[in-house]
Amino acid sequence: MRNIFLGLLAAAFLYSCGSKKKPSAEDIAGVLDSVKIEEPAISEEVVSDIIQQIPSPLEISTLLKEAETKYDKSHLNDPDNISNYNSNYKKALALGIYGTDLGYTNIYEQNQDALFYLNSIKSLADDLSIGQFFDIGTIKRLATNSKNLDSLLLITTKNFNSINAYLQDQKRSNLSVLLLTGGWLEALHIICQVSANNPGNKQLEETIGEQKIIMDNVAILLSFYTENDPNIKDLATEMTKLQEEFNKIEIKTVYREPTYEVVDGMLVVKDNSTSEIIMKDENVVAIRKLVRDIRNKIIN
Amino acid sequence: MSEEILKALTQLFGIITKQDGGVTEKERNFVISFFQQELDQDSIKEYLELYDKNVGYGEENKEDEADEKKKKRKLTSVRDSVKTLAICKKINKTLTQKQKVVVLIKLLELVSSDKNFTPQRMEIIDTVSNVFNIVKNEFKLIESFVIKEKGEDLKEFDEILTVSSETSQEEALHVHADINGEIIFMAVSSVDMYFVKYTGSDEINLNGFIMKTNSVYLFSHGSTIKTPKGAALYYSELIRQFLSDEEAVKLSYNAESIVFQFPNGGIGLRDVNVFEGPGQLVGIMGASGAGKTTLLNVLAGIEKPTKGSIKINGLDLHEDHDQLQGMIGYVAQDDLLIEELTVYQNLYYNAKLCFADLNEEEIHKRVMEVLESLGLDQRKDLKVGSVLDKTISGGQRKRLNIALELIREPAVMFVDEPTSGLSSRDSENVIDLLKELTLKGKLIFVVIHQPSSDIYKMFDKMVIMDTGGYQVFYGHPVEAVTYFKKTTNQVDADRGVCPTCGNVNPEQIFNIIEARVVDEYGQLTNKRKVNPVQWEEFFKENFELKAVKEEKEAPPASLRIPNKLKQSVIFTIRDTLSKISNKQYLLINLLEAPFLALILAFIIKYKSSPDGEEYIFRFNENLPAFLLMSIIVALFMGLSVSAEEIIRDRKILKRESFLNLSWNSYLLSKLTILFTLSAIQTATYVIVGVLILEIKGLTFSFWAILFSVSCFANVLGLNVSSAFRSAVTVYILIPLLLIPQMILSGLLFSFDKLNNVLSTKGKVPIVADLMTSRWAYEALAVDMFKNNEYQQPYFEVEMDEKMADYKSSFLSKKIKEKLQFINNNIEETEEGTTEEVEEAFAIIRNAIKKESYKGNLEGTDVDQHLTKENFSKSVSEQVTTYADQLREHYLEQFNLAVKKKETLQYFFENNEEYDYDINEMKDKYFNESLSDLVRNVSVADRVIEFKGQLIQQIDPVFHVPEEPGNMLNYRTHFFAPQKYFAGGYIDTFYFNILVIWFMSLILYITLYFEALRKLLEKFGSIKFGKK
Repeated sequence: MRNIFLGLLAAAFLYSCGSKKKPSAEDIAGVLDSVKIEEPAISEEVVSDIIQQIPSPLEISTLLKEAETKYDKSHLNDPDNISNYNSNYKKALALGIYGTDLGYTNIYEQNQDALFYLNSIKSLADDLSIGQFFDIGTIKRLATNSKNLDSLLLITTKNFNSINAYLQDQKRSNLSVLLLTGGWLEALHIICQVSANNPGNKQLEETIGEQKIIMDNVAILLSFYTENDPNIKDLATEMTKLQEEFNKIEIKTVYREPTYEVVDGMLVVKDNSTSEIIMKDENVVAIRKLVRDIRNKIIN
Repeated sequence: MSEEILKALTQLFGIITKQDGGVTEKERNFVISFFQQELDQDSIKEYLELYDKNVGYGEENKEDEADEKKKKRKLTSVRDSVKTLAICKKINKTLTQKQKVVVLIKLLELVSSDKNFTPQRMEIIDTVSNVFNIVKNEFKLIESFVIKEKGEDLKEFDEILTVSSETSQEEALHVHADINGEIIFMAVSSVDMYFVKYTGSDEINLNGFIMKTNSVYLFSHGSTIKTPKGAALYYSELIRQFLSDEEAVKLSYNAESIVFQFPNGGIGLRDVNVFEGPGQLVGIMGASGAGKTTLLNVLAGIEKPTKGSIKINGLDLHEDHDQLQGMIGYVAQDDLLIEELTVYQNLYYNAKLCFADLNEEEIHKRVMEVLESLGLDQRKDLKVGSVLDKTISGGQRKRLNIALELIREPAVMFVDEPTSGLSSRDSENVIDLLKELTLKGKLIFVVIHQPSSDIYKMFDKMVIMDTGGYQVFYGHPVEAVTYFKKTTNQVDADRGVCPTCGNVNPEQIFNIIEARVVDEYGQLTNKRKVNPVQWEEFFKENFELKAVKEEKEAPPASLRIPNKLKQSVIFTIRDTLSKISNKQYLLINLLEAPFLALILAFIIKYKSSPDGEEYIFRFNENLPAFLLMSIIVALFMGLSVSAEEIIRDRKILKRESFLNLSWNSYLLSKLTILFTLSAIQTATYVIVGVLILEIKGLTFSFWAILFSVSCFANVLGLNVSSAFRSAVTVYILIPLLLIPQMILSGLLFSFDKLNNVLSTKGKVPIVADLMTSRWAYEALAVDMFKNNEYQQPYFEVEMDEKMADYKSSFLSKKIKEKLQFINNNIEETEEGTTEEVEEAFAIIRNAIKKESYKGNLEGTDVDQHLTKENFSKSVSEQVTTYADQLREHYLEQFNLAVKKKETLQYFFENNEEYDYDINEMKDKYFNESLSDLVRNVSVADRVIEFKGQLIQQIDPVFHVPEEPGNMLNYRTHFFAPQKYFAGGYIDTFYFNILVIWFMSLILYITLYFEALRKLLEKFGSIKFGKK
């Protein structure tokens, strides 16, 4: 009896102290003292402008639906992975990723999955102190009825826009950038995967190639924060590799005069310029691989 | 008799009978009959063979070699002497002096069986007595006693007492019946033993066995001799004869005109007088309801008489309490024993509490002496056991009860119905014991019910009470019979005792007292012939009572109570021993906790990871409930283990109240034991729980809280236990104590959503503050959230972050909102609206005052400035600016805090030294459900308005309460990380534990003063209904 008791005691004791070295209070104080708020080298307006130029990830999803590819959950990030995101950096990226995933499930009217993403999004947003933008009650109600899809889409899109605005207002545009990066990266990843499954689909490959422009914008955005934020610096380094791969793609724009047509009694301007994307299959493969690697680093 | 002494005796018998003429048939028969007395049938043969071998029996008849034999005999006698010496030395080593005396007497008896007292034989016996170290005088005494047959021949010895038909009644008390021959007693004073032999031919009974003529018997404690006519001779009477010369004790006991009124107004005793000197056995008799026990209690000083005085040696029993300390012994009717302890332990710890001045050895000696004198020495290592689970007999229990009082030698003893429930043999035994004590100078009062004739006659005085507390007789017991007979003019009135059998019939007395009138049909009516008042009058006419001469000398006090600390230690040891000896109790108490932890933790441990494949502490949603259950378990265990403690001890406490022991010491000893038990219970609970649920690094703080709770429950349980009479009541009460603790723990029902009468928004309700569970739960939850290994380094930073977020996003917004409302409605005159405007002003004022950041309002008197009267556009603008500044300020703080946190994380994760993986850390140490609970994330309104205040609802665990105006105002919201009290902030964990201990302290004080019991008594005295 006594032996059992002592044994338990010893076990509990051993259990309670791990073998790892723990950071001392001085270490922590030293780290914290050095932290200062540094304004990014670039003004908020510039950042805002660039952000505006990046299309919503939802647009890509719509494209996929139009291409009549099937819904594939395996391309998406598991909503349960949320427990892996424990720093603001990761949370912001993940929020972007889940935003794209939510859009994807919405387009395909996968309401149950959409709800899971909504929950994760709400939770992440709360952690980032931007939870007020998600009235989970309303969203849930809308989501249970596929007829409300349009309004749901509208709300979420609007929400992401407002979040961006709010974060910039709060001088937390770094989060805004991460949100955006995450969203774009996820969209890119989905397209890469879908195109891998549909090798004959030229349009998808072209869409990948078109991302070159956005890639540049993202890289610029990230570069603003590399000095202050070691996490973003690490991410930017990764992104640079991706950018290098994109740089192997060439986009030629052939300019033609726009023409005017009258449709239903209205005057419509028609842009006749075309752009030609010059890329090789190996470029796509390399991009696909890089995107997957970067994404994996973020989501796990 | 032991085998060893029997063997030695057989050998000695052999050697002695061998001498001079060898064994005769008579001697051999004596030996056989001796064996028959001592042994079973089978063993007799074995021992007889041994005897025959020694004595050479059977070889005797060989006539040849007769001459040679004679030669040899000389030689053998030398050899026998050596052999005798060897045997005696062996006996010396193993036998006590008492047993040696018995051996010597047996040897002498053997020799005297055929009167063959040859010099050689006597020489050997003489040698034996020498080797046994028996004093010469005593040897001579014993020798004469055994050998001589007539009392006359023994006149020279003081130690011998002869009782025969010629002995007068006075001398031999009640033994005067005609018997053939004499009963001769001998006292061997060195060993304090008495022997008896009978020389006649009647059937005389010694303890139920017929005495053989001229056989010597041990007259042991409590023995009785009965003659064929039924007269009895008790040990105590014999002792009195031997002890009559001893020094007289100086004692006077005068109880004069005692009147006693019950609290309900009924009269219990009317003008009772008792006057006694030392050495008296006073019986108290009466019909049921006559007030026997009341009288005893009043005489013993347990109840205070309404009128009249009781003086012992001139000292008032109630006023000079201190001087009379230890003088009085009281043996209640119930057994006041600690059932789990042995007979010896019961006495030993009692003695320790009485004699601080004696050392261990002396106490042991004293205990053994008392045990021996009560004939309990053979039973000393037996557990007393409960009434249902008996290990010692009823008579022995009673004697032990008396022994407990006896050991401290009180001068006056009160014994309540010592014979109830005992066999007639045991009853006689007990009364005989009391009688013996009176012979040593004690004054003993005994309440006795339906005594047998023999017992009745043993009393020196008898007090007879009649219904309603009237004293109707006080005097010699036998005289009582004649008095009542005479008063009612019965025939034969002079004869108290039956002339032929010598019996007294005490029933007769009551038949006379309670005789009822017969009506004309010969039926008994309810009316008594003589009512109690008349009896009392008769008594007063016929008897005149005089107080005994008051002794001026202070009574001798042998009582030395140890100091309070020592008392505590003795109590603790005694209680611990009794608990340890109760295996069932111990086992259940020790296994209860780990078992509960096991089932609880086992049941709520599930595959909690998001993918449902394994258990991860972080996602165990049952943790908050487990913590609450742990607190309830600690409370329950603490309560149930202590709730019976005092009730169980009540009887013993009653007995010990005569010792004036410290109540505080007693309570402290209880607490020591209970706290130790609680410590073990909670420790095993926590260890098992923590191991199963994988709660890491918080074992000690978890234990500290549960231990504190359990200790609180212990003290609470003791309070309840001291206030109520039965254990059943207490166990019924436990849910009543526990359920409020569950309801108001803060987990099951939110404090904000309680009845409006109770709740105050933003503060824990005061009713909940009375609950230990709430303090414990808060401490546990906050500590587990704040100090787990994951959260701990970030806590401060996160606190800055969350508070800044609240202020920048919600507080500033709320101020603006209120300002907007004022701007819109300030002109309104409608009643409801003006009030709302005032309220809005109050909210803004209070919010600004509470806020440490003053911005553009620095130096402005907000109270004066922000009122309806002084409000203007400029003020409005000022406040708007302030709200903006506030927002800006905290936004900056927020961003800084966020950055700090990120940097810290980055530092940990990217530093080789630490091997830090944030996900792993969080999975191991952090619990999401607990975090959600203490951060109150599910709340819809992050800030609410209440009585002119803005109250933060979100993140209570990050919200350090503002300094209150009052130093002693401890009240805060639930799950506050720190508490402000008496001029400083204290960590919630420590503050709450202190609160729990403070509550325990308060309960200890109420326990010490028995406040709860007194309160209940007060309620109890309120009468319901007409009666």
